[in-house]
Amino acid sequence: MNVLRLALRTLRREWHLVELRTLAASLVLAVIALGVVATLSTRIERGILASAAELIGGDLGVSAPAPLPDAMLRSAQADGLTATRGAAFRSVAFVGEHSQLLDVLATDGVYPLRGTLEVRGADGRDRVAHGPPRGQVFLDHRAMVGLGIRPGQTVQIGGRDLAVAAELLRQPDGGELFALAPRALMNLDDANDAGLLSVGSRARHRLLVSGPPAAVTAWRSDLEGSDLPAGAELITPEKMQERMRTAFDRASAFLRLTALLSALLAGVAIALAAARYARRKAGEVALLRALGTPRRRVAALLVTTLAALALPAAALGMAIALGLAQGAWYFARQLFDNIPTTLPLGPAFAAAAMGLAVLAGFALPPLVRLAEVPPVAVFRESMQRRVRRFDALYLVPLVTAVLLVWVQSDSAKLAGILAATLAGVAVVAALLSALLLVIARRVAPGAHPALRLGLAALARRRGLSLVQATALSLGLCALLLLAVVAPSLLEGWRRELPADTPNWFALNLQDDQREAFTTALGKMGATRTNMMPLAVGKLTAINGKPIDSIAFANDDAKDSADRQLRLSWAAELPPSNQVVEGTWAGPAPSQAEVSVDTSWRDRYQLKIGDTLSFEVGEGTLDAKVSSVRKVDWSSFRVNFFLMLDPAHADQLPHTWLTSFYLPRGRGDQLAKVSRDFGNLSLIDVDALLDRVREIVDRVGGAVRWVLGFSLLAGALVLAAALAASAQERRKEAALLRTLGATRAQLRAAAACEFALLGLVAGLTAALGALGAGLWLGNAVFRIENFVPPLWPLLGAAALAAFVVMAIGLFGTRKVVRTSPMALLREG
Amino acid sequence: MADVSKSVFGPEGQLDILSGVNLQVAAGESFAIVGASGSGKTTLLGLLAGLDVPTAGSIRLDGQALESMDEEARAAVRRRLVGFVFQSFHLLPALTAEENVMLPMELEGDDTARERAHAALDAVGLGARRRHYPAQLSGGEQQRVALARAFVHRPRILFADEPTGNLDQHTGEHVGDLLFEMNRQHATTLILVTHDARLAARCARSAELHEGRLGVPA
Repeated sequence: MNVLRLALRTLRREWHLVELRTLAASLVLAVIALGVVATLSTRIERGILASAAELIGGDLGVSAPAPLPDAMLRSAQADGLTATRGAAFRSVAFVGEHSQLLDVLATDGVYPLRGTLEVRGADGRDRVAHGPPRGQVFLDHRAMVGLGIRPGQTVQIGGRDLAVAAELLRQPDGGELFALAPRALMNLDDANDAGLLSVGSRARHRLLVSGPPAAVTAWRSDLEGSDLPAGAELITPEKMQERMRTAFDRASAFLRLTALLSALLAGVAIALAAARYARRKAGEVALLRALGTPRRRVAALLVTTLAALALPAAALGMAIALGLAQGAWYFARQLFDNIPTTLPLGPAFAAAAMGLAVLAGFALPPLVRLAEVPPVAVFRESMQRRVRRFDALYLVPLVTAVLLVWVQSDSAKLAGILAATLAGVAVVAALLSALLLVIARRVAPGAHPALRLGLAALARRRGLSLVQATALSLGLCALLLLAVVAPSLLEGWRRELPADTPNWFALNLQDDQREAFTTALGKMGATRTNMMPLAVGKLTAINGKPIDSIAFANDDAKDSADRQLRLSWAAELPPSNQVVEGTWAGPAPSQAEVSVDTSWRDRYQLKIGDTLSFEVGEGTLDAKVSSVRKVDWSSFRVNFFLMLDPAHADQLPHTWLTSFYLPRGRGDQLAKVSRDFGNLSLIDVDALLDRVREIVDRVGGAVRWVLGFSLLAGALVLAAALAASAQERRKEAALLRTLGATRAQLRAAAACEFALLGLVAGLTAALGALGAGLWLGNAVFRIENFVPPLWPLLGAAALAAFVVMAIGLFGTRKVVRTSPMALLREG
Repeated sequence: MADVSKSVFGPEGQLDILSGVNLQVAAGESFAIVGASGSGKTTLLGLLAGLDVPTAGSIRLDGQALESMDEEARAAVRRRLVGFVFQSFHLLPALTAEENVMLPMELEGDDTARERAHAALDAVGLGARRRHYPAQLSGGEQQRVALARAFVHRPRILFADEPTGNLDQHTGEHVGDLLFEMNRQHATTLILVTHDARLAARCARSAELHEGRLGVPA
């Protein structure tokens, strides 16, 4: 009879065993937890990416200083993609004697491919629109105020009269999130006819596409593999503004964190169930070995039985996970309105594979060890547990866990922190429970009978108690991280964008305008006003070597060397900047010094002490690199790649850059002020702030969904693990009842035992979650001064300890209710 | 068995369980080892059956030197030649009576396992209870299932470790009758360990183990 048939038969016979069902249930739950989280995460990430696509108005794009070749459009269409052409440029609009510089986007009628273009018509009603037809233009509110017109009137752009068809309310931004001037949207053919896009117009031409993800990916790799026209670059959702990217990075880190912790929870439950199954099988293996069954055949039978159990369980878990993920998406999709996504199947298969890997990692070592039980153990049960030869096998679950963390998290830092935290929790839990056992032995003799029985039970099952306390601590730590730390991290992130975050920037303010402009701002009720000097120049040499003669390794360095640089200076290191190399120059160093951002250091491979030469206006400045800064670009503060020292930079020709918070609805007043300061450029970042806030909210909603499933799965897994271990107590309880112990005494003893276990686990888990929260908040999620909420954490830990006790008691209820005779017969 | 010793190392140093034991049992003979608890009876049985190896001395089973074999080779010898009956029955609680009897044959890949198990259970009078789990059987019935399992693959040598030790006198006698009857029918060599003098007396020969040394019973 082949091993598979025998294994199937064994499985059918043993199916009624609690531990085997627990093992199967743990695996099903593990795959469900991993599968639901992974499927939802993938879908949510797609949703988030799709919402990034909203921001660029398509799934992918190319922009270039010259019109893009028709071949590119045709290749996109051949790949099954929809495409839209456009061009962004600046032009002055005239209405009577009023004039206004505008940021104009000229598009065809297909724009936008993703996201929505919202306008308010002459009738005052809001509607969703596409690019305006010929002869029409949409203007934003500031443009209308600046020009003194309303929808229905006419404006002249590029010498052509265009009807203002509607007020532009919201548009996907086309990669240019900063609208320096008031915005206008006009027809591409009109722009062409007006000669606004002729050679030398400084327009930025672009082609945006949208379509099925596979087709977009294919087109993208075609583009990346070909020579793009000179000066062309890809517009991708990922290549969004640095701040937006940070938001996405954090979003996916949150989702990965939840998925990862669910997986580890499942591993803990599987390890417990497998160890118990192995203990159950030890007697059987000893018998089989005594009857002459070869070791290999025993091992093959055990492994095949496990596989015969695991494969259908994994398949079932996968099917349920897909069903639940689909159901959850039905409710969660409101978070991603108007973004269609398909149910991804890959993550559920990956989850099943991971579930099986977890099972193999955690369950195989005790079973393989089992085959080593000596045949003579058939006479002496104690010998069944004396196999030491395969101790090293217990490295397998450890390695499995680390690999799992690695694969799931895709982030070395996140993986490292979680691995270190969980290892720390395991060690502390083991030490604390060992201490508890020592105390138990000392205290037990004089204690209350129930406590004495409980303590004695803990001390007697020393090994099991240690394993159980450690497993519970790990499980609870993962749950606390999910339930308390993750939401508070999210809240911390939200707090970084307070309601009065500066939402306007004003560029080009002259020295003699500073006072008047500040006063005007004060009158409008602007707050959080901050001014920084701004000089525009070029990098001419590094260490005296002209920039043109340096062969840069990357095109990026060469391109940016050709561009104009923005330089600023301050006596003190600005907030959200951190010096990582060298020292901050201070107000007046003996020679000119410059501090560079880390990306600049990397791009030009700079070292402390290098000299950079700048040309600013008519003058030049040689500055020594004295420090390297790490800048938090997501802070919404004004930051610069290059900061000079004030003593030497003050002499450079410069203007001032102001950031301030202006309550919404005061844009009209600002437009009037800006007319008094004709040279000013105003940047409205409200739209960007709204987007980031929206993303934080979307991620918050999504994390809550994923969290709900993780918590449910985690709680079920823990309950299963505890219930399985409660079986160990049946024999003992039967004996105690035979000896005359009352049900109340048994319940009290079990309550004491589980409460102590819960206390150790809760305390350790709270400490672990606190440490990991601090670490994650500051190192991974980069939330300044993040401290996890201590009291909710301790409260949750106490609740967890209570739940452990309740579940433990629930698990022993059958033992307490059944007659001792029946229990003794059961063995 | 020639000059066999067995020692183990415990917390208090070396413990000699058996010292210089010599024993020869002929094919088809029935032999009883008696002795007080802790005298080393079960250890001796384990060595004779090839479940363990001696610290010194040599053991031949059906002419084959066990001490020179590795565990897998000894397992093959056990599979081919040996049957066991244990004091605590060692039935697998998750399997029915029939499945317990089938198990060793199934592991051998014997396709006739079920039919042979039926016959063996019929032979011990439990044909009607073959679907019962061990917990649903009395102690005597469980030991009868164990006897069926021990004889089902027709071993040349049967080792019995206190086969009636967990049974009342009446049931013990009944199981003893069955054991000797089956032994006779199958012409098996029987080596049993017991402290039941009456069971030992039913064997052709017996010896007493006292403090690790074998002697003639008083």
